Amino acid sequence: MAAVPIIELRDVHAVRGEYEALRGVSLALPEGEASFLMGGAGSGKSVLLKTAAGIRLPSEGEVLYKGASLARMSAREEAAFRRDSGFAFQDSALWANQSLFDNLALPARVHEPGWGKAEVERAARRAAELVGFEDDLRARPAELSAGERQLIGLARALVLDPPLVFMDDPAANLDEEAAERVLGIIAALKERGRSLAIVSSSSDCVSRFADRVIALKDGHVIASGSYDEAAAWTDPAVRAVTGRLKARQRDEGPEWASGLAGEWARALAEDSFAIPEDGRDRDDGRMADLGDIINDVADPDGGERGKGER
Amino acid sequence: MLARIGRAALRSLDEFLYSLGFFARVLLESVRLVGRKRVGRRVLVHQILFTGVEALRITAVMAVAIGAAIIGIGNSLLSEFGQSRLMYTILIIVIAKELGPLLTAFIIIARSGTAIATELGGMVVGHEIEAYVAVGVDPIAFLAAPRFLGVVVSMATLYVYFNVFGLLGSFAVVQLVMPIGFDAYIRSLFSALAPGDLLLGLLKSLVYGAIISSVSLNRGFSVESASTEVPVAGIRAVSSSFMLCILAEFIMLAVQYMG
Repeated sequence: MAAVPIIELRDVHAVRGEYEALRGVSLALPEGEASFLMGGAGSGKSVLLKTAAGIRLPSEGEVLYKGASLARMSAREEAAFRRDSGFAFQDSALWANQSLFDNLALPARVHEPGWGKAEVERAARRAAELVGFEDDLRARPAELSAGERQLIGLARALVLDPPLVFMDDPAANLDEEAAERVLGIIAALKERGRSLAIVSSSSDCVSRFADRVIALKDGHVIASGSYDEAAAWTDPAVRAVTGRLKARQRDEGPEWASGLAGEWARALAEDSFAIPEDGRDRDDGRMADLGDIINDVADPDGGERGKGER
Repeated sequence: MLARIGRAALRSLDEFLYSLGFFARVLLESVRLVGRKRVGRRVLVHQILFTGVEALRITAVMAVAIGAAIIGIGNSLLSEFGQSRLMYTILIIVIAKELGPLLTAFIIIARSGTAIATELGGMVVGHEIEAYVAVGVDPIAFLAAPRFLGVVVSMATLYVYFNVFGLLGSFAVVQLVMPIGFDAYIRSLFSALAPGDLLLGLLKSLVYGAIISSVSLNRGFSVESASTEVPVAGIRAVSSSFMLCILAEFIMLAVQYMG
């Protein structure tokens, strides 16, 4: 019996305004693999990623997580799905009225009600360290550069060390050093056996990490297959989307992390960077009371709502 | 042509049904928010502070000006017809029952309706709403419900202030130009005022508050992706709120006087 894919889309359509962004997309993302979505501007890859992550609702079709339809999940099941998945947005999508710390802490506050303040703080700080951010976490997102915001956005997606991570072009708009760090994080996540769904326009990044490649054009999947199959694709329309994918040597895999970020990535891959030692026992699907979270993050001096509130 | 009209009608019906569903969700989440042990006190308090307290000055000025005008005009004009006592009835009708709630609603629309719609619209454009969904926080419960409750409570509070300033503050202003005995004024005012008048005004305020907040929230969340949609959402929140408040006033008037 074939393994149940971690994410499966069945005949998914998505409408954006008057425009149909996805037109009958069906695909399966296997658990523990890095699946890369490639496509030109307006091909629907970001919409597809958000739909697969349950952030956008499909207008038709269904999305399944480990065989269960997202649309029919109970609140408890949905909470478990949210806890077990992280999403890094292309433009960071940090909450502007919250401090960086609160941005990083919210997933932990929502999904780990048993954690104390120290545990939440530890998880937030480790996530910031992971992406190489060492400045004051009391700052607001507006005080950072676009690249720094993107890194913090990635850190927020990883703060609970989720087994499934969605990334929308995570290395775009970053300088070389930051991009290298992001690639190292992807390498480390792969070594940790995480399931990854990544939108990328870089054939170099895909060549390094992809287990599976999905090519999109005009809201359709025009090609989908393992990396080896993708490297052998000859259709000019598909090659126009994927670029030149190098054929990979069989023993190349274990070297990726060291080839990208050396010892740092290897150390990261071996480390449980987010879960506090005394916070491992958790009740899946149990969420913190929303009122508590609102009170925790609503501090006007460093919290959720500021002057914009009317 | 006919097909286009039909499509537009279907779209309008679709929008109407969506708005009703949205309102029901916001209402449900607001009830849940109240029912929680630790309600989002700070968010709620901030919303009341900005919607209610900061609008107090303009509400007071408007109430005093209208009350003073009614007392001044009523005192000089109605006495010519021997109907001075009607002044108090008119004062109650205008301040407590009809114009007070509606003017307070207009103030809230101009101040908070636009602010809520543009703030949420900006959050949509910045993908902040999607980020809340991604971490498992329901934007309706977390963002909409405290604003809804805050605006409704603020409307009711401002209505009370409008009455205080319109009925008593205006008397103080009129004293400067046209002295009237305070005892006589208060006695006449209370003889014309029925508790039902205040309750009706309060009910109207709550209805307007619910309309303004749900329309503004809906308009804010309706922004799709472009930053140019944000000011449009603000404008639509204002125009829709105005129209719906006036329509609600008309319906309530019809029920009140014809029912």
